[in-house]
Amino acid sequence: MTAAPARIRVWDLPTRIFHWTLAALVVFSFTTGKIGGGWMSWHLKSGYAILALLLFRLAWGVVGSSTSRFTGFLRGPVAFFRYAAGLVPKRHRPVIGHNPMGGWMVLFLLLILLAQAGSGLFSDDEIATQGPLAEKVSNAVVAKMSSFHDFNGWIIAVAAGVHVLVIAYYVFGLKDNLVKPMWSGWRAVDAGVEQPPMRAAWLAAILLALAAAGVYWLVVVYPKG
Amino acid sequence: MKKSAIAALALLAAAAPALSQNVKPENQIKFRRAAYTIMNLNFSNLDAMVENKKPFNKEEAIRNADIVSLLSSIPKSYFGEGTDKDTRAKPEIWTHRADFDAKMDKMVSEAGKLPAAARSGDMAALKKQIADTDAACKACHDDYRAKQR
Repeated sequence: MTAAPARIRVWDLPTRIFHWTLAALVVFSFTTGKIGGGWMSWHLKSGYAILALLLFRLAWGVVGSSTSRFTGFLRGPVAFFRYAAGLVPKRHRPVIGHNPMGGWMVLFLLLILLAQAGSGLFSDDEIATQGPLAEKVSNAVVAKMSSFHDFNGWIIAVAAGVHVLVIAYYVFGLKDNLVKPMWSGWRAVDAGVEQPPMRAAWLAAILLALAAAGVYWLVVVYPKG
Repeated sequence: MKKSAIAALALLAAAAPALSQNVKPENQIKFRRAAYTIMNLNFSNLDAMVENKKPFNKEEAIRNADIVSLLSSIPKSYFGEGTDKDTRAKPEIWTHRADFDAKMDKMVSEAGKLPAAARSGDMAALKKQIADTDAACKACHDDYRAKQR
Protein backbone atom coordinates (compact mmCIF):
# COMPACT_ATOMS: atom_id res chain seq x y z
CA MET A 1 0.00 0.00 0.00
CA THR A 2 1.43 3.38 -1.00
CA ALA A 3 1.16 6.29 1.37
CA ALA A 4 -0.96 9.27 0.32
CA PRO A 5 1.13 12.24 -0.83
CA ALA A 6 1.38 15.07 1.67
CA ARG A 7 2.97 18.47 1.66
CA ILE A 8 5.36 20.26 3.95
CA ARG A 9 6.52 23.82 4.35
CA VAL A 10 10.02 23.75 2.88
CA TRP A 11 10.79 27.48 2.64
CA ASP A 12 9.74 29.99 5.27
CA LEU A 13 8.25 33.34 4.24
CA PRO A 14 11.41 35.40 4.98
CA THR A 15 13.57 33.18 2.75
CA ARG A 16 11.04 33.40 -0.08
CA ILE A 17 10.66 37.17 0.15
CA PHE A 18 14.46 37.42 0.28
CA HIS A 19 14.87 35.25 -2.80
CA TRP A 20 12.41 37.00 -5.10
CA THR A 21 13.26 40.52 -3.95
CA LEU A 22 16.95 39.77 -4.45
CA ALA A 23 16.31 38.32 -7.92
CA ALA A 24 14.34 41.41 -8.97
CA LEU A 25 16.91 43.82 -7.53
CA VAL A 26 19.85 42.01 -9.16
CA VAL A 27 18.20 42.31 -12.59
CA PHE A 28 17.36 45.95 -11.84
CA SER A 29 20.90 46.73 -10.66
CA PHE A 30 22.54 45.11 -13.67
CA THR A 31 20.25 46.95 -16.08
CA THR A 32 20.53 50.38 -14.45
CA GLY A 33 24.31 50.00 -14.21
CA LYS A 34 24.57 49.31 -17.92
CA ILE A 35 22.17 52.11 -18.93
CA GLY A 36 23.74 54.62 -16.54
CA GLY A 37 22.76 58.29 -16.90
CA GLY A 38 19.81 59.21 -14.72
CA TRP A 39 19.47 55.61 -13.52
CA MET A 40 22.69 55.69 -11.52
CA SER A 41 21.00 57.07 -8.39
CA TRP A 42 18.61 54.11 -8.52
CA HIS A 43 21.53 51.77 -9.15
CA LEU A 44 23.06 52.89 -5.85
CA LYS A 45 19.80 52.61 -3.90
CA SER A 46 19.21 49.16 -5.32
CA GLY A 47 22.72 48.17 -4.25
CA TYR A 48 22.08 49.34 -0.69
CA ALA A 49 18.88 47.29 -0.57
CA ILE A 50 20.76 44.24 -1.87
CA LEU A 51 23.46 44.70 0.75
CA ALA A 52 20.84 44.81 3.52
CA LEU A 53 19.14 41.69 2.11
CA LEU A 54 22.46 39.82 1.97
CA LEU A 55 23.38 40.72 5.54
CA PHE A 56 19.95 39.52 6.61
CA ARG A 57 20.41 36.26 4.70
CA LEU A 58 23.79 35.60 6.29
CA ALA A 59 22.21 36.02 9.73
CA TRP A 60 19.23 33.89 8.69
CA GLY A 61 21.71 31.24 7.56
CA VAL A 62 22.83 30.96 11.16
CA VAL A 63 19.67 31.45 13.23
CA GLY A 64 16.89 30.95 10.64
CA SER A 65 14.69 28.00 9.78
CA SER A 66 16.48 24.67 9.38
CA THR A 67 16.21 24.62 5.56
CA SER A 68 17.82 28.08 5.38
CA ARG A 69 20.79 27.31 7.63
CA PHE A 70 24.29 26.97 6.19
CA THR A 71 25.15 24.09 8.49
CA GLY A 72 22.16 22.23 7.09
CA PHE A 73 22.81 22.65 3.39
CA LEU A 74 26.60 22.92 3.01
CA ARG A 75 27.56 19.27 2.57
CA GLY A 76 30.85 17.46 2.03
CA PRO A 77 32.31 16.10 -1.21
CA VAL A 78 30.84 12.61 -0.77
CA ALA A 79 27.27 13.91 -0.58
CA PHE A 80 28.05 16.35 -3.38
CA PHE A 81 29.24 13.75 -5.89
CA ARG A 82 26.69 11.12 -4.91
CA TYR A 83 23.94 13.67 -5.52
CA ALA A 84 25.53 14.79 -8.79
CA ALA A 85 25.60 11.21 -10.05
CA GLY A 86 21.85 10.97 -9.55
CA LEU A 87 21.01 14.08 -11.54
CA VAL A 88 19.49 12.22 -14.51
CA PRO A 89 15.81 11.65 -15.29
CA LYS A 90 14.27 8.74 -13.33
CA ARG A 91 17.29 8.40 -11.03
CA HIS A 92 16.79 11.85 -9.53
CA ARG A 93 15.65 11.86 -5.92
CA PRO A 94 14.17 15.16 -4.71
CA VAL A 95 15.70 16.77 -1.63
CA ILE A 96 13.94 18.80 1.03
CA GLY A 97 15.62 22.22 1.07
CA HIS A 98 18.87 23.01 -0.72
CA ASN A 99 20.47 19.90 -2.24
CA PRO A 100 24.19 19.06 -1.73
CA MET A 101 25.16 20.81 -4.99
CA GLY A 102 22.69 23.68 -4.88
CA GLY A 103 23.77 24.58 -1.36
CA TRP A 104 27.24 25.51 -2.59
CA MET A 105 25.73 27.51 -5.43
CA VAL A 106 23.68 29.43 -2.85
CA LEU A 107 26.86 30.27 -0.94
CA PHE A 108 28.70 31.20 -4.14
CA LEU A 109 25.88 33.50 -5.26
CA LEU A 110 25.70 35.15 -1.85
CA LEU A 111 29.45 35.74 -1.82
CA ILE A 112 29.75 37.22 -5.32
CA LEU A 113 26.75 39.46 -4.63
CA LEU A 114 28.25 40.56 -1.33
CA ALA A 115 31.53 41.33 -3.11
CA GLN A 116 29.57 43.29 -5.72
CA ALA A 117 27.60 45.37 -3.22
CA GLY A 118 30.74 45.90 -1.13
CA SER A 119 32.96 46.97 -4.04
CA GLY A 120 30.23 49.31 -5.29
CA LEU A 121 30.51 51.32 -2.08
CA PHE A 122 34.10 52.22 -3.06
CA SER A 123 33.57 52.62 -6.82
CA ASP A 124 33.68 55.71 -9.01
CA ASP A 125 32.25 55.83 -12.54
CA GLU A 126 34.36 58.92 -13.31
CA ILE A 127 31.32 60.81 -14.57
CA ALA A 128 29.08 61.98 -11.74
CA THR A 129 28.63 58.99 -9.45
CA GLN A 130 30.77 57.81 -6.57
CA GLY A 131 30.05 55.10 -4.04
CA PRO A 132 29.47 56.51 -0.55
CA LEU A 133 32.84 55.29 0.72
CA ALA A 134 34.99 56.24 -2.30
CA GLU A 135 36.21 59.38 -0.50
CA LYS A 136 37.37 57.27 2.44
CA VAL A 137 40.06 55.31 0.61
CA SER A 138 42.93 56.02 -1.80
CA ASN A 139 42.27 56.35 -5.52
CA ALA A 140 44.35 53.24 -6.12
CA VAL A 141 41.78 51.32 -4.09
CA VAL A 142 38.89 53.10 -5.85
CA ALA A 143 40.31 52.10 -9.24
CA LYS A 144 40.68 48.47 -8.13
CA MET A 145 37.17 48.41 -6.69
CA SER A 146 35.62 50.04 -9.77
CA SER A 147 37.39 47.62 -12.07
CA PHE A 148 36.34 44.64 -9.97
CA HIS A 149 32.75 45.94 -9.72
CA ASP A 150 32.55 46.11 -13.50
CA PHE A 151 34.05 42.64 -14.06
CA ASN A 152 32.17 40.93 -11.22
CA GLY A 153 28.88 42.22 -12.62
CA TRP A 154 29.40 39.90 -15.60
CA ILE A 155 30.33 37.00 -13.31
CA ILE A 156 27.01 37.53 -11.55
CA ALA A 157 25.14 37.69 -14.84
CA VAL A 158 26.67 34.36 -15.92
CA ALA A 159 26.08 32.74 -12.50
CA ALA A 160 22.46 33.91 -12.47
CA GLY A 161 22.04 32.56 -15.99
CA VAL A 162 23.47 29.18 -14.96
CA HIS A 163 21.16 29.18 -11.92
CA VAL A 164 18.09 29.74 -14.10
CA LEU A 165 19.18 27.09 -16.64
CA VAL A 166 19.74 24.51 -13.92
CA ILE A 167 16.33 25.23 -12.40
CA ALA A 168 14.85 24.84 -15.89
CA TYR A 169 16.59 21.44 -16.18
CA TYR A 170 15.01 20.38 -12.87
CA VAL A 171 11.55 21.46 -14.03
CA PHE A 172 11.63 20.08 -17.58
CA GLY A 173 14.36 17.42 -17.46
CA LEU A 174 13.98 15.97 -13.97
CA LYS A 175 10.27 16.81 -13.60
CA ASP A 176 11.03 18.35 -10.22
CA ASN A 177 9.48 21.82 -10.02
CA LEU A 178 11.62 23.85 -7.62
CA VAL A 179 10.07 27.18 -8.58
CA LYS A 180 6.67 26.50 -7.04
CA PRO A 181 8.00 25.72 -3.54
CA MET A 182 10.21 28.83 -3.64
CA TRP A 183 7.07 30.81 -4.45
CA SER A 184 4.46 29.19 -2.19
CA GLY A 185 6.70 27.59 0.42
CA TRP A 186 4.98 24.18 0.01
CA ARG A 187 6.50 21.05 -1.45
CA ALA A 188 4.67 17.81 -2.12
CA VAL A 189 6.27 14.88 -0.30
CA ASP A 190 5.49 11.27 0.51
CA ALA A 191 3.53 10.77 3.70
CA GLY A 192 5.75 10.37 6.72
CA VAL A 193 8.30 12.95 5.66
CA GLU A 194 8.78 15.18 8.65
CA GLN A 195 8.12 18.90 8.60
CA PRO A 196 11.45 20.72 9.13
CA PRO A 197 11.28 23.17 12.02
CA MET A 198 10.55 26.74 10.93
CA ARG A 199 11.47 29.97 12.69
CA ALA A 200 8.97 32.73 13.36
CA ALA A 201 8.87 35.48 10.73
CA TRP A 202 9.09 38.24 13.35
CA LEU A 203 12.67 37.21 14.10
CA ALA A 204 13.46 37.71 10.42
CA ALA A 205 11.79 41.12 10.48
CA ILE A 206 14.01 42.19 13.36
CA LEU A 207 17.15 40.90 11.63
CA LEU A 208 16.23 42.65 8.39
CA ALA A 209 15.57 45.90 10.25
CA LEU A 210 18.97 45.61 11.93
CA ALA A 211 20.66 44.91 8.58
CA ALA A 212 18.90 47.90 6.99
CA ALA A 213 19.91 50.15 9.90
CA GLY A 214 23.52 48.98 9.55
CA VAL A 215 23.56 49.71 5.82
CA TYR A 216 21.93 53.12 6.39
CA TRP A 217 24.68 53.97 8.85
CA LEU A 218 27.36 52.77 6.42
CA VAL A 219 26.13 54.66 3.34
CA VAL A 220 24.50 57.78 4.83
CA VAL A 221 25.71 58.49 8.37
CA TYR A 222 29.36 57.34 8.30
CA PRO A 223 30.36 59.06 4.99
CA LYS A 224 29.32 62.45 6.42
CA GLY A 225 31.45 62.00 9.50
CA MET B 1 36.55 87.00 -9.12
CA LYS B 2 34.26 84.09 -9.96
CA LYS B 3 33.06 85.88 -13.09
CA SER B 4 36.59 86.56 -14.26
CA ALA B 5 37.60 82.94 -13.66
CA ILE B 6 34.68 81.78 -15.76
CA ALA B 7 35.53 84.35 -18.42
CA ALA B 8 39.09 83.00 -18.49
CA LEU B 9 37.73 79.49 -18.91
CA ALA B 10 35.55 80.70 -21.76
CA LEU B 11 38.58 82.22 -23.42
CA LEU B 12 40.55 79.01 -22.96
CA ALA B 13 37.69 76.96 -24.38
CA ALA B 14 37.40 79.27 -27.37
CA ALA B 15 41.15 79.17 -27.95
CA ALA B 16 41.42 75.40 -27.65
CA PRO B 17 40.92 74.41 -31.31
CA ALA B 18 43.59 76.78 -32.53
CA LEU B 19 46.05 75.88 -29.77
CA SER B 20 45.94 72.15 -30.33
CA GLN B 21 47.70 72.46 -33.69
CA ASN B 22 51.08 73.05 -32.10
CA VAL B 23 50.77 71.01 -28.93
CA LYS B 24 52.92 67.92 -28.53
CA PRO B 25 51.02 64.64 -27.85
CA GLU B 26 52.17 64.48 -24.23
CA ASN B 27 50.65 67.87 -23.51
CA GLN B 28 47.49 67.15 -25.47
CA ILE B 29 46.90 64.23 -23.11
CA LYS B 30 47.71 66.46 -20.15
CA PHE B 31 45.26 69.17 -21.24
CA ARG B 32 42.33 66.91 -22.06
CA ARG B 33 42.79 65.12 -18.74
CA ALA B 34 42.88 68.44 -16.90
CA ALA B 35 39.61 69.48 -18.54
CA TYR B 36 37.96 66.12 -17.81
CA THR B 37 39.15 66.22 -14.20
CA ILE B 38 37.62 69.62 -13.51
CA MET B 39 34.44 68.61 -15.38
CA ASN B 40 34.21 65.46 -13.26
CA LEU B 41 34.64 67.47 -10.05
CA ASN B 42 31.95 70.00 -10.95
CA PHE B 43 29.54 67.56 -12.53
CA SER B 44 29.76 65.23 -9.50
CA ASN B 45 29.08 68.15 -7.16
CA LEU B 46 26.10 69.25 -9.25
CA ASP B 47 24.73 65.70 -9.32
CA ALA B 48 25.24 65.27 -5.56
CA MET B 49 23.17 68.41 -4.89
CA VAL B 50 20.37 67.35 -7.20
CA GLU B 51 20.35 63.86 -5.66
CA ASN B 52 20.09 65.37 -2.16
CA LYS B 53 23.45 63.94 -1.11
CA LYS B 54 24.26 67.48 -0.03
CA PRO B 55 22.18 70.66 0.33
CA PHE B 56 21.17 72.32 -2.93
CA ASN B 57 22.69 75.73 -3.52
CA LYS B 58 21.57 77.46 -6.70
CA GLU B 59 24.64 79.68 -7.07
CA GLU B 60 26.91 76.70 -6.66
CA ALA B 61 24.83 74.72 -9.15
CA ILE B 62 25.08 77.50 -11.72
CA ARG B 63 28.85 77.71 -11.27
CA ASN B 64 29.18 73.91 -11.63
CA ALA B 65 26.98 73.93 -14.75
CA ASP B 66 28.89 76.84 -16.32
CA ILE B 67 32.26 75.19 -15.76
CA VAL B 68 31.15 71.81 -17.14
CA SER B 69 29.59 73.50 -20.15
CA LEU B 70 32.63 75.64 -20.90
CA LEU B 71 35.20 72.90 -20.43
CA SER B 72 33.20 70.35 -22.42
CA SER B 73 34.47 71.70 -25.72
CA ILE B 74 38.16 71.46 -24.77
CA PRO B 75 38.96 67.70 -24.90
CA LYS B 76 37.87 67.25 -28.50
CA SER B 77 40.79 69.36 -29.70
CA TYR B 78 43.35 67.25 -27.87
CA PHE B 79 42.80 63.81 -29.36
CA GLY B 80 45.34 64.37 -32.14
CA GLU B 81 47.50 61.74 -33.83
CA GLY B 82 50.00 60.09 -31.51
CA THR B 83 48.01 60.76 -28.35
CA ASP B 84 47.15 57.08 -27.85
CA LYS B 85 50.20 56.20 -25.70
CA ASP B 86 50.17 56.02 -21.90
CA THR B 87 46.47 56.77 -21.81
CA ARG B 88 43.20 54.94 -21.35
CA ALA B 89 42.00 56.39 -24.64
CA LYS B 90 41.44 53.36 -26.89
CA PRO B 91 43.01 53.10 -30.36
CA GLU B 92 39.46 52.76 -31.74
CA ILE B 93 39.12 56.54 -31.39
CA TRP B 94 41.40 56.99 -34.39
CA THR B 95 39.91 54.14 -36.41
CA HIS B 96 36.29 55.20 -35.74
CA ARG B 97 36.87 58.92 -35.73
CA ALA B 98 33.48 59.93 -37.13
CA ASP B 99 31.59 58.01 -34.45
CA PHE B 100 33.92 59.27 -31.72
CA ASP B 101 33.44 62.86 -32.89
CA ALA B 102 29.67 62.43 -33.04
CA LYS B 103 29.60 61.15 -29.46
CA MET B 104 31.93 63.93 -28.34
CA ASP B 105 29.71 66.54 -30.02
CA LYS B 106 26.66 65.02 -28.38
CA MET B 107 28.33 65.40 -24.96
CA VAL B 108 29.29 69.02 -25.70
CA SER B 109 25.74 69.73 -26.81
CA GLU B 110 24.15 68.17 -23.71
CA ALA B 111 26.64 69.85 -21.36
CA GLY B 112 25.86 73.12 -23.13
CA LYS B 113 22.27 72.92 -21.92
CA LEU B 114 23.29 72.63 -18.24
CA PRO B 115 23.73 76.37 -17.53
CA ALA B 116 20.20 77.24 -18.65
CA ALA B 117 18.77 74.27 -16.73
CA ALA B 118 20.64 75.31 -13.57
CA ARG B 119 19.33 78.87 -13.89
CA SER B 120 15.74 77.85 -14.64
CA GLY B 121 14.95 76.90 -11.06
CA ASP B 122 13.15 73.86 -12.46
CA MET B 123 14.68 70.95 -10.53
CA ALA B 124 13.09 68.30 -12.73
CA ALA B 125 14.51 69.95 -15.84
CA LEU B 126 17.97 70.21 -14.27
CA LYS B 127 17.83 66.60 -13.15
CA LYS B 128 16.89 65.48 -16.64
CA GLN B 129 19.67 67.54 -18.24
CA ILE B 130 22.20 66.06 -15.82
CA ALA B 131 20.97 62.57 -16.73
CA ASP B 132 21.24 63.28 -20.46
CA THR B 133 24.74 64.70 -20.05
CA ASP B 134 25.76 61.75 -17.89
CA ALA B 135 24.51 59.33 -20.56
CA ALA B 136 26.40 61.24 -23.26
CA CYS B 137 29.64 60.95 -21.23
CA LYS B 138 29.05 57.25 -20.66
CA ALA B 139 28.40 56.54 -24.36
CA CYS B 140 31.97 57.55 -25.16
CA HIS B 141 33.53 55.90 -22.09
CA ASP B 142 31.84 52.59 -22.94
CA ASP B 143 33.33 52.47 -26.42
CA TYR B 144 36.52 54.51 -26.33
CA ARG B 145 37.91 54.45 -22.82
CA ALA B 146 39.74 51.49 -21.28
CA LYS B 147 38.55 50.29 -17.87
CA GLN B 148 40.21 51.41 -14.68
CA ARG B 149 43.03 49.18 -13.46
